[in-house]
Amino acid sequence: MNQNTGQRKAKPSRREFLWNSGGGLGGIALASMLGTDPLQAVDDSGVLGGVLHHPPKAKRVVQLFMSGAASHIDLWDHKPWLDKHHGEASDFGEKIELFQNGAGPWTKSYFQFQPYGESGKHLSDAVSPLGEVVDEMAFIHNLVGKTGVHSQATYLQATGFQRPGFPGMGSWISYALGSINDNLPTFVVLPDHRGYASNGPKNWGSAFLPASSQGTTIFPQRENPIDNLTARAKFITQEGEQSGLQLLNSINRQYADQRLGDSRLDARIESYELAARMQLSAPEVLDISKEPAHIRKMYGLENEGATYGADINIPEEAEYFGRKCLIARRLLEKGVRFVQIWSGNDNGFPRRNWDSHEDIARDHGPLAKGMAIGTAALIKDLKQRDMLKDTLVLWTTEFGRMPSSQGSKGRDHNPFVFTNWLCGGGIKGGVTAGESDQWGFKPLDRENPTQVYDIHATMLHLLGIDHQRLTVRNNGIDRRLTDVHGHLIDTIIA
Amino acid sequence: MNTAFAVDSEQVFKQQVVPILQKHCFACHNSEDHKGDFAIQTKAEVLESGYIEPGDPSASHFLAVLKPDGNAPPSMPKDREPLTREEIEVISLWIQSGAYWPEGFLIAQPAVTSTDWWSWKVIELQTVPAAENPFAAHFSIENPIDAFVLAKLMQKGLEPSAPADRRTLIRRVYYDLLGLPPTPADVAEFVSSGDLLAYEKLIDKLLASPAYGERWARHWLDVVKYADTAGYDKDKLRPNAWPYRDYVVNSFNQDKPYARFVREQLAGDQLYSDTPDGILGLGFIAAGPWDFIGHVEVPETKIDGRIARYIDRDEMVTNAMNTFVSTTVQCARCHNHKFDAVTQQHYYNLQSVFAAVDKADRLYGEDPAVTARKKQLEQSIKEATESLVALQQEIEAEAGPAYKTAIAESDKLKSFTALDQRDDAYGFHTAMQQTTADTQWVQIDLGQSEALAEIRLHPCSDDFGGVGNGFGFPVRFRIEVSDDPTFKSSTLIADETQADYPNIGIAYYAATTQVSARYIRLTVNKLYDRNGTPMFAISELEALAADGTNLAQQKRVSSSSSIEAPIRWTRKNLTDGKWPVPVDIVKTQQWASMLVDAEKLVGKANTPARKKRRQELTLKKATMTKELAGLPKGRMVFAAATDFVGMANFKPTMGKPRPIKVLHRGDILQEREETQPGTIPLLNKDGVFSLAEDHTEGDRRVAFAEWVVRKDQPLTWRSIVNRIWLYHFGQGIVTTPNDLGRMGQLPTHPGLLDWLALEFRDHGQSFKHMHRLILLSSTYRQASAHHETNSQIDSGNQYLWRMNRRKLSAEEIRDSILQVSGRLNNQMGGPGYYLFKLEHPQHSPHYEYHLHDPNDVTSHRRSVYRFIVRSQPDPFMTILDCADSSKSTPLRDETLTSIQALALLNNKFNLAMAEHFAEDIRSLQTTEAAQVNRAFVRLTGRIPMESEQSELLAYTQQHGLENLCRLLYNLHEFVFVD
Repeated sequence: MNQNTGQRKAKPSRREFLWNSGGGLGGIALASMLGTDPLQAVDDSGVLGGVLHHPPKAKRVVQLFMSGAASHIDLWDHKPWLDKHHGEASDFGEKIELFQNGAGPWTKSYFQFQPYGESGKHLSDAVSPLGEVVDEMAFIHNLVGKTGVHSQATYLQATGFQRPGFPGMGSWISYALGSINDNLPTFVVLPDHRGYASNGPKNWGSAFLPASSQGTTIFPQRENPIDNLTARAKFITQEGEQSGLQLLNSINRQYADQRLGDSRLDARIESYELAARMQLSAPEVLDISKEPAHIRKMYGLENEGATYGADINIPEEAEYFGRKCLIARRLLEKGVRFVQIWSGNDNGFPRRNWDSHEDIARDHGPLAKGMAIGTAALIKDLKQRDMLKDTLVLWTTEFGRMPSSQGSKGRDHNPFVFTNWLCGGGIKGGVTAGESDQWGFKPLDRENPTQVYDIHATMLHLLGIDHQRLTVRNNGIDRRLTDVHGHLIDTIIA
Repeated sequence: MNTAFAVDSEQVFKQQVVPILQKHCFACHNSEDHKGDFAIQTKAEVLESGYIEPGDPSASHFLAVLKPDGNAPPSMPKDREPLTREEIEVISLWIQSGAYWPEGFLIAQPAVTSTDWWSWKVIELQTVPAAENPFAAHFSIENPIDAFVLAKLMQKGLEPSAPADRRTLIRRVYYDLLGLPPTPADVAEFVSSGDLLAYEKLIDKLLASPAYGERWARHWLDVVKYADTAGYDKDKLRPNAWPYRDYVVNSFNQDKPYARFVREQLAGDQLYSDTPDGILGLGFIAAGPWDFIGHVEVPETKIDGRIARYIDRDEMVTNAMNTFVSTTVQCARCHNHKFDAVTQQHYYNLQSVFAAVDKADRLYGEDPAVTARKKQLEQSIKEATESLVALQQEIEAEAGPAYKTAIAESDKLKSFTALDQRDDAYGFHTAMQQTTADTQWVQIDLGQSEALAEIRLHPCSDDFGGVGNGFGFPVRFRIEVSDDPTFKSSTLIADETQADYPNIGIAYYAATTQVSARYIRLTVNKLYDRNGTPMFAISELEALAADGTNLAQQKRVSSSSSIEAPIRWTRKNLTDGKWPVPVDIVKTQQWASMLVDAEKLVGKANTPARKKRRQELTLKKATMTKELAGLPKGRMVFAAATDFVGMANFKPTMGKPRPIKVLHRGDILQEREETQPGTIPLLNKDGVFSLAEDHTEGDRRVAFAEWVVRKDQPLTWRSIVNRIWLYHFGQGIVTTPNDLGRMGQLPTHPGLLDWLALEFRDHGQSFKHMHRLILLSSTYRQASAHHETNSQIDSGNQYLWRMNRRKLSAEEIRDSILQVSGRLNNQMGGPGYYLFKLEHPQHSPHYEYHLHDPNDVTSHRRSVYRFIVRSQPDPFMTILDCADSSKSTPLRDETLTSIQALALLNNKFNLAMAEHFAEDIRSLQTTEAAQVNRAFVRLTGRIPMESEQSELLAYTQQHGLENLCRLLYNLHEFVFVD
């Protein structure tokens, strides 16, 4: 429980040092509630103390988030019906209400679809690089949202709630499972380098969970890719750093020795030692220059460092997204638990996100191809390193886009149905669970759609967590990632 | 449970069966949701389902699904705890005895009705424990606080600790009351003082310091989610939020009685409208997050627009109930509260209290005479505007059927005029002007004199304010050409200055000519009204030669003004060859010419008498508008408002409450019962306020405020003294400060809590009185040292056998570093300073923290005054556990992480301050030894011991004073307070 009963003396766990006063975490209390004893935990530092609800199939997660609302019918969800009725006045058989009233004629996909793999799953040309790994992927075409407003919908996908104030999925997972490495953050976020999506860092905030479970952002192109990783001032020297840390530890040790019974003081000393290790390992993991040429090429980095024109284009998108995917793989290899990669910034200008009201082909084309190159490389690379089997990959966005046109080249928001796909740890590949209707307007079976809670519940399940039992009390309510909802999607579980 | 009974009476049915059905089945199988085509709410539903065979449990499918299926768990309830064996037995017996169901009986949504809970009970006068004190030698009973605490300690077999030494005490009290460290001189004076009242005097001095309000306001702002941006998408700036923050600081410094503080924040505009604080306090209601897109871009007529406003109201209700009465009601949005006596009805009654208010900028502290004159002028301007509209209608009526037909015909072509393509480069846009009568021009230099055949003006398309096509097109204008760039002499090509030209969407305006000239100038003498801001915009100006070549393409553009906001708006765009294209250009031009013809018909009906009348009205309106604009501008605060300047779809209610109904499952599309303004059923059977039939929306908020501050209100007074207590001790008497309900914790010292509540309520509701009481107690003055026996009994120190050692908050760390480094600027109040570089503020602001210069002196002020960004909070402060303004933070978390260690070591602020610190110390002391001592004492309040001193000195000699200063910011002894 978050507001605990005054439990104050907790043995510091091995890696993360959380301490709480009256309002603080309460992981200890929760773990006891679950019948596990965190003091016995040796492998893990999360609230579950390494003792899971059931054996896990996945250990780590990559979440790919397409900000602005990627069009399911132009990427994943093949709609031959639209090909036949292209250009005819749209008629949904009911009154519809759209964000920008963009209910023009039926409009077929802006890209051609072709079957791939043994499963024969149709993918659009915009994401053709993923054809090679399509048999690893499980598609959910009947996902429904709750609103066509970006901010609320992004919150819903990222945190399970439509409004601010709730932890991101990565925070819940970090909180529950803790770290599997000594030298890097547990939850890493790679934002779009052009700016944050709707809601910014609140999509990966820890809210009422301990701050240590929040996502740490990495901006690979910045001088200091991780905030505060190194000191930049003219008085800093290598030797000064080392002997300074020794001196600090020695004085802090004296202070702690004079104040027995306060584990925080030991924990804080240890946190400085851990920080020093992170300073050594983080730059190394971010340095992709030593990756072999064929790997770099696979991730779309063969032109790295090129300068690009003002118009949105495939090589540029491929380079930026591919770099994040490659760094993600390196982070996962070093034991980062949860990596979140974003594509698409805020609604700045010119448009560099998936909110293609004006022109699907212009914006979705390069964004999708760049995303697909990096993502396909990541999946193949994880597989060849035998890591795909316990790495769960989720591709998501805040909602879909309408099968009718907006203007003559764009599409309006469609919160009524959209697509997610998963692959890797514990996921059955080459399957489709849940269809949309002939237009891609709503779920085929409107009574039984899939909701974000179901995706989250299934992912937690694969990580060994019962989504109904991972709760934290905040302001009088026992909160969980899946609110009061969530069913396992059995058909995609291997 | 005795199961050997027959369920055949109403009483047994209601007591035994109904609770089981309510608990396990109702949520899905009620008459509304009818999941799996089955409901158990009425007798008919149960009998007609065919799932229950009265008298035959074994034939009843209903019972089968509740039982385990072999090794598999029962299929019902789905995804929930199964029924207990006893419960299944009750259901079985019920079916066996005929599935008795009283005629007309309806199972209701389960609701807690019992209000029998400690925090809802009257606060009784407490008897102060008067037991003998065996620890009098080191723990004296200074006031009733100590008596209550001691009684509990003795009951638990614990011993109180001895008082802390003076050096520890002064540092503790400084941080507690001011959030800043004492200076070495303060420490020396206090430690060596022979005055028996030195401690009392110290407390009085600190409570009188303005820094006290800065520290304690921050606690309040944490709870109410204060920030300087909206949050959500775009995270727009709230440039007028800060007056509320200053109001909170000032209220603490003035020691404002709590009931007044509460009333101002809920209904100050109704109760104290003649004081600035009456309006400023309403910043409370507006403090939390707000979805710009859901309010501004989506109208209230759409579902998404209604959802946005509904969530916003929920935010207001939650903030008010969590903050003032520490009650969780927000879960009753979707279903009755599962633990407390709060139903959906109560919750939606609370929503209706806030049904008319929105979050917006509103005036405060304006001269009443100015307000009156403004109202007068606004009314007259409104009347003049109405007269002008009426006049226009009169003219159109006289223009007759031909006019109507022309309009009807043109409407048929309307669909072809829609936007098909638009480039990101929109066009040319003047700067914003004062009135539409201001003259603005733009001109093109063809480079040399050219033979011209036709000039075309292509209008713009911009979705700003929902306008779309025809955005910014001039209302009255002329086109001239000349060989003289100053147009001293020129040839008039087109003159549309005598009558308003209709807005022709994205059809182009064409004027033919046969002259040669080098310069083409468009002069506008009546501007476009862009949401009250006069300007004009043109996408492209084409100058066609006889062969159709555009001579103007890529030619130089100059103008009287330009907004210059590339890529969309820049002068160059006027000749870039890009303009918005309609679906069918030919039909669009036809449509435009029909529109112009219709306008000419109107022209005939516009008789000289009417023209004169229009002139008079227009002049009158302009004069009044000018006077209105000239009146002194009031100051604005972002607060709850019913009357404000709207923006696109975000419009004021003008005090008319939105209709609020109970929403089934919290779903905006499932409206149910009506609501009445009210609250939870405390002090009033159903919680409904008694208000007159014709009450105003303000009356609702007043009723709510008065309910909160009632003398016999058990929650309010307990809630606030618990908050005061927890900030002093680091833990509350109730450790769930925002929830005193059944999901919260019980008080460790219930008698003390109630004693404090009455003491506070009946002694002027003075925070400073409570601080004095607490700080003067022996309980507070205890040392924080470990005690082995005590800690074995009470390791968490919930009974306060010692003081809690605490870690400094983010603000305390930053403010202390500024102070010890000699950089702290004590200037109070005003707009928040930036700790980031602000980019793209007009659209989606980017808050670039990594581009901020830590040496920027405007940012060397106390942290309470920093500009707080909600969605993109300051990363440095966030790492140090500062409050998240997306949620209520009644008590900060305290974490210790490696990321935090890196921040204190390497953050650019600390590095920059280390240089200032070193420089300041060097200017005061010449020897390195003295410098080391001086720096150390500033941070810790003591001179280093010899062993420490020699280590520190050696390090300084080798690596410099800057490196030492930086290390000192990382000391345990700095970061923790004993």
